[in-house]
Amino acid sequence: MSQLGQVLEQYGRWAARWPTIAALVPFLPIVALWWGVAAAEVFPRAFFPGPLEVVNGFAVLTYKGILPAYLEDSIGRLALGAACGIAIGVPLGLLVGLNRAAHTALWPLVLFFQAIGDIAWLPLLLIWFGFGLTTMTFVIVYTVIFPVVFNTALGVRSIAPELVRAALSLGASRIAVLREVILPGALPNIMTGLRNGLGYGWRALIAAEIIVGTSGIGFMMFDARRAGSAVEIVIGMIVLGLLWYVVDAWILAPIERATGQRWGLIARS
Amino acid sequence: MKGLTLRNLHKTYFDLNMGSRVTAVQDVSLHIREGEFVAVVGPSGCGKSTILNMVAGFLPATKGEVLVGDRPVKGPGPDRGVVFQNFALFPWKTVIDNVGFGLKMRGIPKPERDRIAREFLALAGLTNAADRYPNELSGGMQQRVGVVRALANEPDVLLMDEPFASVDAQTRMTLQEELTRIWQERRHTVLFITHDVGEAVFLADRVIVLSKGQVLREIDIPISRPRAWDTVSEQDDFKRLSSEVLQMVRSA
Repeated sequence: MSQLGQVLEQYGRWAARWPTIAALVPFLPIVALWWGVAAAEVFPRAFFPGPLEVVNGFAVLTYKGILPAYLEDSIGRLALGAACGIAIGVPLGLLVGLNRAAHTALWPLVLFFQAIGDIAWLPLLLIWFGFGLTTMTFVIVYTVIFPVVFNTALGVRSIAPELVRAALSLGASRIAVLREVILPGALPNIMTGLRNGLGYGWRALIAAEIIVGTSGIGFMMFDARRAGSAVEIVIGMIVLGLLWYVVDAWILAPIERATGQRWGLIARS
Repeated sequence: MKGLTLRNLHKTYFDLNMGSRVTAVQDVSLHIREGEFVAVVGPSGCGKSTILNMVAGFLPATKGEVLVGDRPVKGPGPDRGVVFQNFALFPWKTVIDNVGFGLKMRGIPKPERDRIAREFLALAGLTNAADRYPNELSGGMQQRVGVVRALANEPDVLLMDEPFASVDAQTRMTLQEELTRIWQERRHTVLFITHDVGEAVFLADRVIVLSKGQVLREIDIPISRPRAWDTVSEQDDFKRLSSEVLQMVRSA
């Protein structure tokens, strides 16, 4: 037991030095297991492709330009949806966090519509907007907004009242208080909300592409089902996981940490 | 610089726990002359912080008024600089940007406000801390920044709400000495709130003892300046005045 502990400790030190490699190591046993099960042909090969076939398929799809094009479509939709979601979610969160009356008036609505969920809107959206970008953007915006609103409001409420008082007694106008105190004070929480929102939005996008799609990773996966190509479906799954890992671990998490940690709002670990 | 006048100040509020109206401040009148240092001392719950919050404009008075010079107070404003007990520095701004905040609000361009901010930082021995963030500084250093930030905005009146209550005893004495030194150079009108009798007597020209929201007594402190703890604490005047104020506070 203590030997295992030592090994884990050693690994922890090593992982701290090589974070990129350390991020890959946990996948080794899973890939090995996958390889073993595929090689043993527990399931028919066509239903359960092995890692090599998937890598092969990945190369072919990339070479043909299908994968890059679909990836671009999916990321573009996510970016558009996220941008709209932030543009609506942050101001709404500020309003709800700052104004008691706005909170009273809007909170029941926020809770109600949050509960409906993005996918539940799809049937109606398809009737309204048809199979297109508008429908997908709506779904993503809808998904991104709620975590952003909740966390922004939380961030606003967590700002010490003394900071607002200090700013006012130094001559700040209401607008200046918003710009200089409220926004930066809520920023770590806004980043947290954005991180969650994009995570949900990414999943919602794939679901929307499966139903609505004419292109994109979700469409690729569902289209492959029709052709009976398990390889392409697995490729889609891997791309989804990888892409999110890159976005979250390399972009969103560092920003969230930088804003909170440098200011001492989040304890250094 | 201007004087500060509190005229028949009242504050009552509805206490949800008690289910009745509570009087926090009752008919307090006080005049602080231009360039005078006045300390208000009293036990916790005597209404001293409520008074400061009304003077700062953070809380509306139930009755009565506050005048800076001859202009009535309507809300918070840059004519009254406030130093907070928990410092209230902006954690996302460097020390120099904290100190320059008031100047920024007045629309003074960055190079000019950095120059002014550096001048004030030097006044409190903070020159080397200019580019650090508040959470990288000790409590004593943070409150030096808090004081300097209020001063750099050149307020007519300086309001200090138990500013040294949350730093250790040694640092507190150093900060008190620094404050008397800075005050002597610049002669601000100061309203200083504290529960520490020694601090009030050491710093102030006049000490107001507050009890149950009312002024119990005013005592002049004719101890010569400059004041340093080594010499002042040995003086008979200081000892006599301190014990006199202490007795009043304890009977309050």
